[in-house]
Parts: sequence; structure tokens; C-alpha cells
Amino acid sequence: MAATADPLEPFYFEHEEQQRICGKPVSPITDGFDANYPSVVDRFFTRFYYIRANAAYQVLYHSNRICLICLAPTHPALAQGIASLSFDVGNVDRSQNVVKGKAKKGGMILQADSTLALLTTETGQIYKIPSCIRGKLVEVNAALVAEPKLLEHLPEGAGYFAILLPKIENCDLIRESLLTQEQYEEHLKTNQEQNTEHLKTSTEQKEENLKTNEEMLIT
Amino acid sequence: MKNQELVDYLMSCGVCKVCQLRYLRARGSEYNDIHKSLQRLGVKVTEDQVEDEDNVISTDEQPLKKPRLSHCSTCLGIFSEDFQRELIEGIIASEFGKYDSEGIVLAITMPMSLQLRQLSMWFALQRKFGSTVHSNSPPDVPIKEAVKLILHPIICKKLDKKYDANGLVISIDLRHKVEEEEVDKLVELNRAAFPGKALRRVEISRGLLEKQYQPSRVKAETFEKYLPIPPTAVDESLSLKSVDLQGPMVCVAGRYRKLSRELSHTPWLLQGVRQMEDSIEEIIIRSVGPHFTETVPKITFMSSGREDVDVRCLGKGRPFVLEIPNSRRSTLTREQALAMEQAVDTSGKVSILNLQVVPREQAMNIKTGEEQKRKYYRALCALKEPATLEMLQKLQISESFDIQQKTPIRVLHRRPLHTRPRTIYSVKARLQRDNPLVLVIDIVTQAGTYIKELVHGEFGRTTPSFSSIIGKPIDIQALDVVGIDLDWPPEVDNSVAE
Repeated sequence: MAATADPLEPFYFEHEEQQRICGKPVSPITDGFDANYPSVVDRFFTRFYYIRANAAYQVLYHSNRICLICLAPTHPALAQGIASLSFDVGNVDRSQNVVKGKAKKGGMILQADSTLALLTTETGQIYKIPSCIRGKLVEVNAALVAEPKLLEHLPEGAGYFAILLPKIENCDLIRESLLTQEQYEEHLKTNQEQNTEHLKTSTEQKEENLKTNEEMLIT
Repeated sequence: MKNQELVDYLMSCGVCKVCQLRYLRARGSEYNDIHKSLQRLGVKVTEDQVEDEDNVISTDEQPLKKPRLSHCSTCLGIFSEDFQRELIEGIIASEFGKYDSEGIVLAITMPMSLQLRQLSMWFALQRKFGSTVHSNSPPDVPIKEAVKLILHPIICKKLDKKYDANGLVISIDLRHKVEEEEVDKLVELNRAAFPGKALRRVEISRGLLEKQYQPSRVKAETFEKYLPIPPTAVDESLSLKSVDLQGPMVCVAGRYRKLSRELSHTPWLLQGVRQMEDSIEEIIIRSVGPHFTETVPKITFMSSGREDVDVRCLGKGRPFVLEIPNSRRSTLTREQALAMEQAVDTSGKVSILNLQVVPREQAMNIKTGEEQKRKYYRALCALKEPATLEMLQKLQISESFDIQQKTPIRVLHRRPLHTRPRTIYSVKARLQRDNPLVLVIDIVTQAGTYIKELVHGEFGRTTPSFSSIIGKPIDIQALDVVGIDLDWPPEVDNSVAE
């Protein structure tokens, strides 16, 4: 008997108390379990996408308009392997961002094409991570600088580069400017053939990246 | 100046016996028996005066007297028996009877004429008796003070109440037909007496009258151009303009439990649109408020913290207090409290216990040490892969540890970004027998910890989290508050008769 005893036996939950409230027994908390319960991202966020230099980025748009900027799962850097990440984008270090109070005073003001961070892959390619939306920088995910490899296997959302807060009045325009999940999937399909081509011309892409390096940064 | 001379002069000016005593600077209990006090002060009281005045301060029911032809020139009859009767009748005719407060306090607003008349008499006494009457300290016990000494005890006795500064406030506004005319005169007088200030359109207030209108600041000659010295008797007494009642603030405390996962704490509005039909606050106030007040919307609901809309609150419940302004009732019997508890139970969503009236100064107990309090929770958590012995062992924590928690994204749009340290006192995870993906985790934390974020870690923004501790994704599906360690209000079982 002892040999076959369940090692988890001491840990099983028993709904011990039979409390009555409002004249009825309180149901055990386990009654609320839902095998198909949506994930945190599905519960509170809408997925949007932003394409830049043929690489896709994901914007997780919270119902309270807060945005998380992430790599889209198809981003080429993931396949190449992440080597390093820096929030020092040349003329400004995004990790020095400080916000104060409810209004997040002092946060850097970013445009959709402002560079948020620089991502270097193991193949030596540098990706300029765009801000994707116009808004105020609230927080950067500094943990990724110390451990950039995390980006390759963190669950959805956890690999966010930054949290941005757009102005309420800009929200409609921002959502319109981004690709929805559907549009993004459509985009993937139509670009399937071109994708191989793009890989070939990756050197051209690099040059293009360098050209846009001197973009305006409004801080 | 002898007392007799003073009284003789006052009488010749039509001053009533009470005011005569005021000018003799009588104190407290000396007003209880005017006749005796006057005699003790060496003043002869003639027979007709006795007959005329002996009922002035009487507290017994008296047959209605015929209205007198003349009323005191200095108090306009405020101390007369007729006026007292009118006052009592006025209070009783108001909604006074609806208030059960044992204590009352009177706030009487008197016409400015009264102050002017005191000043006029002050001038008159100076003329009559010369320098024995000071120029900057009034010769009488001020009317306001006399009202407190004389009227308050009588009204309290007639209404069978006690004086209590925190009791029912009875605001009485008095008027007199000469006021308008005299105030017009005062405006002119003010221009003449304080020409510089008049240009600045200083509004004439009671405070200004009290401060500026003294013989040391206004000349009798100037005053007399506008108003007579001494004041003249009037043929009509003061009358009641209005009686306003403001009941005391009553605090009712208890503990609430919440069964629904779709019920907000207070009415939840998003851009002015109601998000949920009802709220804990409304359900409780609906059953408790009307017993105490007709102005139910003025009630304030406070609690020792709050839970999210989708969180149940079980166990002994969460302490709350209702602050009820202008309350008509100050007590709650156990029967009444039980009826309210049962009424709240019919909501099927909220239940209240230990309902009781508490002293006002205790109501703040609910907010003290809110951050230090321990909170007890039970969370329903879901894994992506079956629980292992190792995971379960990692989630048995009996020693407290600290976490760093960033302001959750769900409130970040309206709260500042901070990283707060929070203490987790204990964690105890158990597994559902028929589903290895389901954990029930009992957690004891410092107040102010965001539990949902503690479980899943919110993209690494809370560290450590249960997710980082087991190194696997874990999500929270349901949360119950099972205890709040605040031993207040005291436990009361309202189902047991007193």
C-alpha cells in the first residue's frame, strides 16, 4: 500500500467549511473553475500589429488604453537568436525615463516611428524597435537588457519592451493606424512568397535602417 | 450709581425685568428667580411689577395673557413669556418630533436691531451716569450670553431634552418689524461713522457691529442723528422667521460579506454611464438609511479597504461604517438591526452582521493601520501543465517574504507608477483531487498587495510571483477574501434579544 501511495495525497483540497451567507451555503471556490478560461492577454488586451522594415511588432492594447510594445511571434530576430538589447538608442537612453504622478509627468513623448530600443541578433543584425504608437513612455522592461535570451521563450506579453500611455484623444487614430489580428494574418499570407526575397535582400534593408537612424526624437 | 437708580432709570426707558437684571450684571442662576435676585441686589419690587412680571421666566403652563402694549426697548421681548411660548410652539410645529436626539443645541439668529439697541442704551447710561459706565466694556450681560443662560435651560426643560453641543441643532431665525427701518438707518450711520470704510462698501454684518459699534469708536452725537438714545419701547414683540433642524451625525458600523462576483463596491460609472446595476454601498444604505434619515443620499459609506468587483468577501466579513448626517434617530435596537440584516440578505449578494450604532469618534478606527493589517485570501489558480510534487512543495511557504510590486497595468492609467514592497506572510497551495491543473492557494499578505498580480506575476512586473517561484505559468481564475484582521466593530449578535 505504502509503495503505491499518491505522493500528492497530503496536498489535496477539501472544501472544509460549510459557511452560510444570505441563507445559502457558500459554494467552494473550485466551482468557478473554467477549463477554457482566457489568458491574461485575452482577458484584458487587444492584439494589434505594426510593421516596420518587414518586421512585425505586437501592440497589446489594454482596455484602459495602456499599450505594451512587443515583438510579433513572426519577428525574424526570434529565428536568428537574440544577442543583446539596449535602450540606449544613440541620442537618448530610454531606460533613464522617469515618470511622476498620475499624469506620468516627465515621460518621454514617442512617435510611432521613434526608436524604443536596439535589438542585436546572433547573426549580427541590428533591429531598431519602433515605438509603434504615439504616446508617453511609462516604463521600460529593463530585465530584458540583463537577459535578452528571455525574449525567445517568455510567454506572450512578458517580453514587452515598454509600456506606453497614449492620449485619450489619439486612441481612435492609433488603433486605425495599426493592423488588427485579422489584417496581420492576412499580411502574413500575402507576404509569404516575398518573405524569402526579403531575406535575400537583408543587406539592403540594413542600409535603409541606417538612413533612418537620424530620426527625430521628441522627448 | 446705585442699583436702585439704575433700575429706576431702566424702567423709565421701558426695559423689562430680565434686562434690568442684565444691566445689574446678574450671573447664571440669578435669572432663575428674577424677583428674588432683584431684591437681593437691593432693588425694591413694587406690587404691580410683581404681578406684571412674575411669569416672565416661569416654566409652568400658563393661560394665555393678553398681548402687552409695550415690549422691552432693549430685548424687544425676547425674554418675555409670550415669546418663549411662541418659540416652543414654533419648535414643536417644526419636524422636531421626528428627531429622537436626547441632546439639543439652540442657534438663535437675532435681528441686528437688538445690537443697535444695546448700544443706544449704553450711550444713554453714559449720559445719565457719566464715567461710571465704561466706553469699551459693555454695561450689560450681552443678550447672546443671556439667551444661553436664560432661554436655553427653559427650552431644554420644556422640550424635555438635554443641552448637548453634538446634539440636534435647532436654528432659529428671529425677526422684528423695526429691523428693516433700523438697518437702513444703520447703513446711513455707518457711512457717517466710518467714512473711509463706507467707500469700500463694507457690508454691515453682525460681526462688524460687535467689533466697531462701541462708544469708544462711535460718538453718541453721530449715533443720535440716525437712531434714538435711549432706545424706544415697541408695541410688537420679536417673532419667529424660521426654525431649521439639523440632526446629529450618527455612525452605524458592521461587517459585510459579498457573495457576488459581479458587484462593485460603490456605484461604478465609466464616462458617466453606469456599469453595474447595483453596488455594496447601495444595497446596505437602502436597508439601513431610511431608519435614520430622510436625506439618504447624503450618507457616506466607508470600509476597511475594498475588494475588486469579481472578488467575494467571506468569513467574518469586512468592517464598514455609514456616516449619517442629519440623523433623526440616534439608536438602533437589536430587533431593528436584525430586520436590516435580514433585508440586506434578501439581495442574495451582500450580507451584513454586527450592525450597531457606534460613537462618532470610533468611526475612524476603520481607516487606522490599513496598510499594516493582514489580509487573508483564497485563490483559485490554473496551471498549464499538471501540478507536480515539487510545485506544490514550493508553494508551501510559512515564513514571510517580501515582493516588489509595480502598479498593476489595470490601474496604471489612473495611478502613479511605483514599485512597492509588500510582505507575504504565508502561502499554502492545495490541489484539486480530480483536476491536476487546479490549485487552491491560501495566502496571507500585508494589506495593499495586489493578489492577482502576485499569482501570475503580470509579465514580470511583480517579483517574485507564484509563477516565478514555480518557474511555470500560473493564472488566477477566482479570488475570495476570507479574513481581515480588524477587531472592530465589536461583535454583536442581533438575533439575540437585548
